[in-house]
This record gives sequence, C-alpha cells and structure tokens, in this order.
Amino acid sequence: MKRLYFDVTKCLACRTCELVCCVGHSVSKDFFQALKEKKVQLPRIKVSLGKGKTMPIACRHCQDPKCVDACIARALTYDFEKKEVVHDKDKCVGCWMCIMVCPYGAIRPDEEARQPVRCDHCVEIGEPQCAKNCPTKAIKYQEDNKK
Amino acid sequence: MKHICIIGNSAAAISAVEAIRERDKDSRITMISDEEYPAYCRCLISYLLAGDISEGKLALRPQDFYTQNKIDLVLGKKVVKLDPKKQRLTLADNEKIEFDIALIATGARADFPDIKGINKEGVSGFRTIKDAKDCLTWAQFAKVASVLGGGLIGLKAAYALRKKGLDVKVIVKSKHVLSQVLDETGAAIVQRHLEHHGIDVLPDQDVAEIIGNGQVKAVKLGSGKVIGSPIVIVGKGVKPNIELVKESDIKTEFGIITDEYLKTNVDGIFAAGDVAQCFDLVRGAAYINALWPNAIEQGKIAGANICGEKKAYAGSLAMNSVEFFGLPIISIGLKKTEPGFEALEFIDKRNSIYKKFIIKENVLKGFIAIGKINNSGVILKLIRDSIDISSIKQDLVSDSFSYARIIDLVGKDEIYTNIPAY
Amino acid sequence: MSQEDLKKDPAHKQLFERAHEEGVDTIWDREAKQEPHCGFGTLGICCKNCNLGPCRIDPFGEGASQGVCGATADTISARNLVRHIAAGTSCHSDHGREVAKTLLMAAKGETKFYKVSDEEKLKNLAAEYKIKTDNQDINTIAKELAQKILAEYGQQEGELVLANRAPDKQKQIWKKFNLMPRGIDREVVEALSRTNIGVDNDYANLMAHGMRVALADGWGGSMIATELTDILFGKPTPKTAKANLSVLKEDQVNIIVHGHVPLLSEMICDAASSEELLALAKEKGASGINLAGICCTANEILVRRGYPVAGDFILQELAILTGAVDLMLVDLQCIMPTLPEVAECFHTKMVSTSSKARFPGMEHVEFREEEALPIAKKIVRMAIENFPNRDKARVCIPKTAANDLVPGFTTEYVFGMLGGRYRPSYRPLNDAIINGRIRGVAGVVGCDNPKMASSQSHVTLVKELIKNDVLVVQTGCSAVSCARAGLLTPEAAFEFAGKGLREVCEAVGCPPVLHLGSCVDNSRILTACCEMVKEGGIGKSLDELPVAGAAPEWMSEKAIAIGWYFVASGLLVLFGMPFPVYGSDNMTKYVFEDVEKITGGKWAFENDPLKMAKVMIEHINSKRKALNLKPMLYESKVEVSA
Repeated sequence: MKRLYFDVTKCLACRTCELVCCVGHSVSKDFFQALKEKKVQLPRIKVSLGKGKTMPIACRHCQDPKCVDACIARALTYDFEKKEVVHDKDKCVGCWMCIMVCPYGAIRPDEEARQPVRCDHCVEIGEPQCAKNCPTKAIKYQEDNKK
Repeated sequence: MKHICIIGNSAAAISAVEAIRERDKDSRITMISDEEYPAYCRCLISYLLAGDISEGKLALRPQDFYTQNKIDLVLGKKVVKLDPKKQRLTLADNEKIEFDIALIATGARADFPDIKGINKEGVSGFRTIKDAKDCLTWAQFAKVASVLGGGLIGLKAAYALRKKGLDVKVIVKSKHVLSQVLDETGAAIVQRHLEHHGIDVLPDQDVAEIIGNGQVKAVKLGSGKVIGSPIVIVGKGVKPNIELVKESDIKTEFGIITDEYLKTNVDGIFAAGDVAQCFDLVRGAAYINALWPNAIEQGKIAGANICGEKKAYAGSLAMNSVEFFGLPIISIGLKKTEPGFEALEFIDKRNSIYKKFIIKENVLKGFIAIGKINNSGVILKLIRDSIDISSIKQDLVSDSFSYARIIDLVGKDEIYTNIPAY
Repeated sequence: MSQEDLKKDPAHKQLFERAHEEGVDTIWDREAKQEPHCGFGTLGICCKNCNLGPCRIDPFGEGASQGVCGATADTISARNLVRHIAAGTSCHSDHGREVAKTLLMAAKGETKFYKVSDEEKLKNLAAEYKIKTDNQDINTIAKELAQKILAEYGQQEGELVLANRAPDKQKQIWKKFNLMPRGIDREVVEALSRTNIGVDNDYANLMAHGMRVALADGWGGSMIATELTDILFGKPTPKTAKANLSVLKEDQVNIIVHGHVPLLSEMICDAASSEELLALAKEKGASGINLAGICCTANEILVRRGYPVAGDFILQELAILTGAVDLMLVDLQCIMPTLPEVAECFHTKMVSTSSKARFPGMEHVEFREEEALPIAKKIVRMAIENFPNRDKARVCIPKTAANDLVPGFTTEYVFGMLGGRYRPSYRPLNDAIINGRIRGVAGVVGCDNPKMASSQSHVTLVKELIKNDVLVVQTGCSAVSCARAGLLTPEAAFEFAGKGLREVCEAVGCPPVLHLGSCVDNSRILTACCEMVKEGGIGKSLDELPVAGAAPEWMSEKAIAIGWYFVASGLLVLFGMPFPVYGSDNMTKYVFEDVEKITGGKWAFENDPLKMAKVMIEHINSKRKALNLKPMLYESKVEVSA
C-alpha cells in the first residue's frame, strides 16, 4: 500500500505542494484557470511549522481510522482493498466529528461547502500531485516498507 | 456453538458485532432492537428534520449487512428483563431468548421531567427517527416551536425547526445554553449567533406547565409567561436504559457498571455505549459520556473481549462537535476552569471566534473551540493521552498550532523521516 | 519582539487582546499566519527577475542547481542582496533629497516656513563643498550648497564630497576596489541594471557594486539628510523626554506623527503649539494638544525638541488600540497598511501626507513645503475637531509611568560634552579608550521584529555591552526599546554600567547609552568614528577602531543598506537574523570572511543577544590588542555570559 512520506530536512515551506493540490482537485487542472473557478479548491495538504522544522501534514490513511469511527453519516469509510480512507460527499452532513478526532489535524473544514478537506491521494488524477511536484523531493509516494 | 445476544442496534451494538465477526465467523449472533428500523445514527435525525438529508441516508450499514454477517435481527421488540443466572432474556411479549454471552447496548432514552402536561400530543423527546418524523408532521402546520433545555439535543432540534421556517423559543433553566458543553463566554457567543438567526433563547427560565387538551397548545413558564407553541421538544438529558437488569445481580449506579474490559460484574455479560458506566479519562472517575464516538469505541473493544481477546478500554471523554448556521463548535473534556487549573483563551467577539484551553499541571484537561476548529483532533489526542504540554503551552492558542508542534511528544511517527532531536 | 515578549508587559498584552476582541489582526497575528516562511526566500535562492522563471535552486542538490538562464545560487543571492541594498539606499536618498530641496526652496525664498537655523553648521558644511562663506549672505550660501548637493544626486563621475571625511586609508581602499560612489542616483540605477538577467553574474563583482551603492547611502543620502536637517532645524542637544504608550493623555488632543521625514513633523510641532489651535482645543474641551511620535520622525522631533515617543515601529497598531488617538498622520516608510482597519474600531482619523505613500482607507492631505504650516495646522485642526468624538469609556492608556530618557547626542556635541566648553575635543573619549576605562564603542540600532525568538534582544545586548565597559550609541527603534527599559538615562550608568564606563559617565554626566537620533542619523556614527581616528591613538583607519555595530531585530531593506555601508567602511556588523544568503556557500563565506580582506569590515549573524555581545566584545578586544592598548582598567570579574 502506497502512502505519502515526508523528509523533514528537505521541506523548505515553499508550499508548492499546497498549490498543486488545489490545481489537482480543480475542474480545469490548469494553474491559472483553477484560481478563477467558481469553487476554488482548498489544499488537502498543509505545510506546518514544528519546533524549528517545517513539514507538510496530510491524511495518512490510518489503518485504524478514528475519523471513520466518529463519522455519524458513514460518509468516511475504510476501503480494505485500496487501504485508503474514502469520503463520500453525498452522505456527508458537515458535522465535523472527523475534525474533532483526527489526531494529526489532517482534516480541515471547508465552511463554504460544508465538507471536510482531506487528502485522497489525488484519486481523480491517479498520482499525488504534491509528491510529483515537490522541488526538493521532500514528499515521496511509496510503499509501506520502503522509506 | 456459542450464542451471543446483543441488546441494542445502534453504535455500540453494530461496532461490537463487526469486532466479533472479525474474529469469530461461526458463533450465533442475535441482535434485538426495540425500534423498527435497521441500525441508524440518531445524531442524524436533526438533519432529517431540517431537510438536509433524506431518510434513505440514515442507514448505518448497507441493507445486506445483517445477512452478510449472519446476524439474526429482531426488530420492534423490547427486552424487559435480563436474568444472568438463567442466561435468559425476556421480551415485552414474554418471548424468552437464551444466550451464552450478552452485550447490553440498550443506550439511553430521553428524560422527561415531571411537568404537568408533559404527556400531551405534540411533546417529543427527539432521540429516534420516530421523534423526527413526528416533528416533521407537526411542523407542517405549526408556526412556533418551543424547546425545553439548552443542551445539544435541544439546540439541534431548535436549529432544524428554525430551518423549516418556524419561530423557535429555547427555554433554558441554567444561565446559558450548552451548560454541559461550553463555558459562559463560549455560550454567550453561541447564543448571540443563534439569536441573530432567529432563535429566541430564554435563559434562567423553567417550564411550569404544558397547556392544551390532548394536543399541546402552549407552554407556561415559571415566571407565568405563556408561549403559544404546538410543538414542544424535550431536551432535558437522557436516562440510561438499565431497567432490564433491575432485578438481577448486575451492579448499576448511573449506568451499568463495567470494568476496563467492558464486562459487568457478572461473567459473560458486557455493556457498551450510552448505557455503560466507564472511566472518564479527564475526570479520573466513573462517568457516562453518552456520545457517538465513545459508543463506537466501546462496542469495538467489548466485541474483542467477548471473543476472549483481552483488550482494555482506556476510558471515555466528553467530546462534542456541532455547527449552527455556519458557526462550528467543538468541546472536549472539561469546559470550566476549576481552582488550581490554568486557562488560556483567545476571544474575537466580532467574528465569533473563541478558543479556550484548560490545563492542570501542564496537562490539557479541556478544550473549547468556536468558529475555528482546525486541529481539534490534535488537542483531543493531547487530552486523551495526558501529554505534558509545557514545551508548547504558548503555541496552543496560535492559529499556526498543528501536529507538527507536538510530533516530538507523541512517540515515533514513521511518516516523517529525519526529524531532528529536540 | 515576539508575541511572547510582547505579552510580558501587561499593558501591551491588554492592548494586544483588545485587537482580537475588535476583530483586527496585529503584526504578531499576521506573522503567525505567515509561518512557516518560505525557505527558498529565506535562503535567498529564489529569483523572480525574468520570465524564464520564477526559479528556485534546490539547496539539497537533488533538484535544480541553476535558474533557467544558468544563474547559480551565488549569482541569485548576490543579485537579490544588491537589489535590497539599492532599495534601502533609495529610501535614505529620497529622504536626503527632500531635505535638500527644501533647503533650496528656503534659500530662494520660495517657502517662508523653513529657514537656516544653524548658521555655523551651514558654513562648515559649505566649506566642505568648497563654497565661499566669508561675507556671504546666509541664504546665498544655503542656495549654493543645496544646489551642489542636489547635483550629487545626478552626478555621473567623480566622488561624493562627504565621502571625503573618511580617513585616508578607507578612501584608498574604496578607490582601489572601485567602491567609491560616483553619484547617488547613478549607483542605484546601475544596481538595477546589473541585476537584470544576463548582466553581472559574478557574485563578488556584484557585491562590490552593492557596497558602492551602500556607501552612496551612508556617505551620501543619509549623511546629507542628517547634516541638512541639523542646518534647517538645529542640531539635537541632550534633553529629558519621555517614551512609551502612556505618553498619551486622557484630557488632551492626542496626535501621533508617524513616518520619517522631519520636514512634516517639525511643522506639526509648530502647529500644535500655536495659540490659535491651543485655543481651539480648549474650546473642544481638551486641556491641550499632546503630540507624540512613532518611528524615525518621532526620533527627529525627540532629539531636537524633546517631544515624547509613543512607541517604535512594532507598537504602531497598539498605539491606536488605546482608543486615545484622535489623529495619526503619516508620511512614508515603515507604516503598516493595516492602520486604517485598526483606526476604524475607534474614532481615530488616519491621514496620509505624501504623494509617494498612499494607503487605502486613509484620508489624504498632501503636504507641500510651500504651504507647510497652513497644511500642518489644517491637520492639527482635524485632530482637535475629532477630540469630542473620542469615546472616553473605551480609552485604555497604559497606567505605567512613561520612561525617562536623555536623547540628543551628536558628533559635534560629544566634543563639548567630553572636553567641556573651553576645550571641546574627542581627546577624553580616546583617552578613556586608551586607558582602559572604556573598552570601545558599539552601535546598537535598527528595527523591531516579531520573528525574533530571543526575548528583549535590544535591552539584553545593550546591558551586556555596557556591563563590559562598552559605550553604546543608538538610533531608531532600538533606541526607543532601550528607552522603555530605562537605559537612556545617566542613572542607568550607576545601575548597569561596568566600573570604567560608569566613571566616565559620572564625570561627564551622560548616560552610558547615547541616543543619536533617527536611522539616517546612523551617519553620525560614521562622522564620530572619523573624529575618533582624527584625534588619534586608537587606530589610523575606521577598521582599526575598537568599535562594532549590531541590529538585533532588523526588518527593513534600509537596515541592509545601513549594515553594508558600515561593513564597507571597515566595521563589524551583527544582525540578529541572517539576510537571505545562506543558500549560497560562496556568498556566506563572502560576508563572513572575504569582505574583511577587502574593506576590513565583516558580517556576523547571531540570534542570542548574549552571544551577540560576546562576538562584539571579542571583536573590540582584538582591535584593542592590535593597537597595543593598555588592558582594561576594571576587567569584568564576570565572564561574558553566553
């Protein structure tokens, strides 16, 4: 199962990952067009400052996901085959229980859409854009047992 | 073949059943529910009433869940007695069911205070799909609704009815709404927001009588004021459904007493969910935090223990998340500062943003977030695991607080490599 | 000053929290939102100069090591740094230009509101410009001087007259390495053209020009601004004054003047003390008009006229949050564009005055020197008319007493201060240094920055320096910070200074920390150093002097320019946070080592103020050793704690 791994020494907080995440989830998938769309996407990954070190934070598709347990509408479920946490936006009621329980703060509220914003490994495109575009290769999308 | 009986069909029951089937595909499982519906999340009924979701969306599991998991489902029947010595359940129609292991997941029911007229038509508890559907029917012809109680259930009902266009009056006995969930400052912000959206909040009031002949017509307050209202929602708390063990040896206090394996004092009988009295991690004492995520976790763990796997339950926490008219509110653990505790606050009254952290000896004990709820789950982890936050105390209130700030406090995280030693 | 540091002062904490209640951001909130800052920018390895980009160098070597044009990290960070120096220099140049133009206007009689106040200084400066002063009318001298100075702005070849003040050795170095500025505007223009794509790609060559630009500031624009301001408004003299937010008054019209150029603030002083406006104030129920300042313009009217300082750069929003400010007027530089948002929470009027500096939300009253006083009066009148709108219930002026300070020291004053009326001279200062009472002189200057992690950096650094018998001179916001800690009084010598320094201060009656004025007045440090060299015994050139400089919390490009002109003049300069250069190994080596081989000056970056002090003291000690000066008379028993 592939996941996103972050090399903290290489993150320079340029936030390219955030930008390409927004573009990757837009309708046009084009950088300039994406900003003009009616619903400008929020980045699913957020670069955050720890104690003197920066690191991106995104959903890591836990195998025992707290958010799935807390979801009252069964909008968040765990796909055992893909080994990913999947969100069904039609079922979601925007109660924010998932945000209350995610121990990584990897889910953020999109107030306008009343939907949680969380990483889906760019399922529409097929490959996580952040890992593809990180200028220092601080983000890697790779199998579990390799680092 | 073992026969496992699960009394209940909601959060704790369903997650227990899944935990059991993960480990044991063979034992016979019977689930008994006093409601007519397959498992649903009762937290959703306010959205049903508001018109935000349709009934079809309420089901907790797909239609074939019970057959796929080889569960005998009994709907619409209430278990009135559990006899642990005879290992036998008695239903309301006197049917008897024998079991080897039982899980009591009967949840809690709306607590109706002793007020004259409380049993009239038009008064509802707001816990079940039936309650919501009743309200939907009544709301078609009503212009005003009153809600007794300023707690979460009451306010969620109030919100839903307001969305339906009714004039809503919330009658609160305490000084402010959400007194079990927020402190005075937070509650004031929420109240202002609710009033701004047309919900009338009447604090420091209680209800003396519900007036009407058969059908509710009005509500009379202790002050003497009368409010014409054909709908009355009772949100005055819940009572755990422990009656079924009244005559047995099973120990109860405010709920069914359980140990850290969610077992009652009688071997082979477990309890989980809103009916179970567990250890509260923040209070450090027995308590019931009747909340959805707690019930799910307890069910999971009870299910594991039922299968013989000794899994300990660390304890429950108060945790609530709700949003009214675009204002999100999250509250975890304690909400009021007690003597000897420290509180860190951030208030922006103009934009209805409030953050409060309650700390005792460098460990977080409580958290309130209104307006900005990002990273609440990180705070929940800090509270749940009693992590020493002295190195990041000053960062808590900041907008830029995140998991990155506590990554050195929570043990090795394999997702991040090359984190420097701090 | 970080958010934590700010909250240690209960009055500031209260105002900070008030901002949140009112729903407005402060500089500390915005800083937190900007964190983490982009590492490429911080390292100086992002380039936006052309459309082949924008480009980034991967400092870890895996990704791109060159921009699209081929520029390396060395080139990119050097180009960026030169542009920063050019921008900082331009601020001071324009400031000097405005003062020079006003002197010309005054000399020509085009404005009756400005005149030559210090005739002696005019004549001395004119002599430097080879202008005849015997039997000449003052305005004739002034006119010629102003014209010659303005010509230096447009000069193409030659040298700047004031650069001549430097000791011979420095001038030789500048000539040898092509660092001598040829004309003020010319150097800035060349800085921009050299840093265009495909022009100067040699980092050392770029930095040499960068130093030339900086020198055009220090010995050009800034020095011109200082000298001509002294000529127009008089030299500063020591006087007692007050600093911190409690200078605002509940019963008076409070006007804050904020920005940099004293042409405006001096007029506001005159207007605010005019009889007609004082009478109007009384009519509106105020007992008087209280004028206070923020930023450099505050320092200008502080050192010349003793007006109180409300705060430095970082506190400008908090000043408004007291609810007591009836009007804040601004000209240019270091003004936060969020001030109108904060002012909207109260009755406070925000007025902009410079056509070069417009801020959405501010009412614009354009200041013109030809009508200086009437315009100033108009603005003061606006403040008075606004006084009745003040909501007294929402006024929250800190109750702590305002700190006393004694500012107003100049190069010229030190002569008199040390030598007395009859034997004005730097001799006593030099002797004190030679004899080991004073270890050396340190300049602690510059801005206030919310990113600074170390607490109380200015105060801690200054205290450590004076404890070790280093005489400290200050300008700008740093001086105001230390004023608020009580360091700028003669009494501070008894409490904080080492024995040797204390003896000197007691004998002379001066503080151990001398406030020289605004940021353009950093040029006074240059002229003072020249006098020290001239007086003799402690070095034959600026780089031999036992001196050092520091800007613990720099924030603006002006600070970069100032730092570089000191380094180019042979001095050690410390910054509390690096400028964007660490992304290039060669540039890092250049600023820490290579540049010393050229000018004798160099850079150091140190975050911890005690460590900063250690570096500066060790540097001063090494200069003392090289000069074979006597050991310190009272060597501190306490190890420099770092």
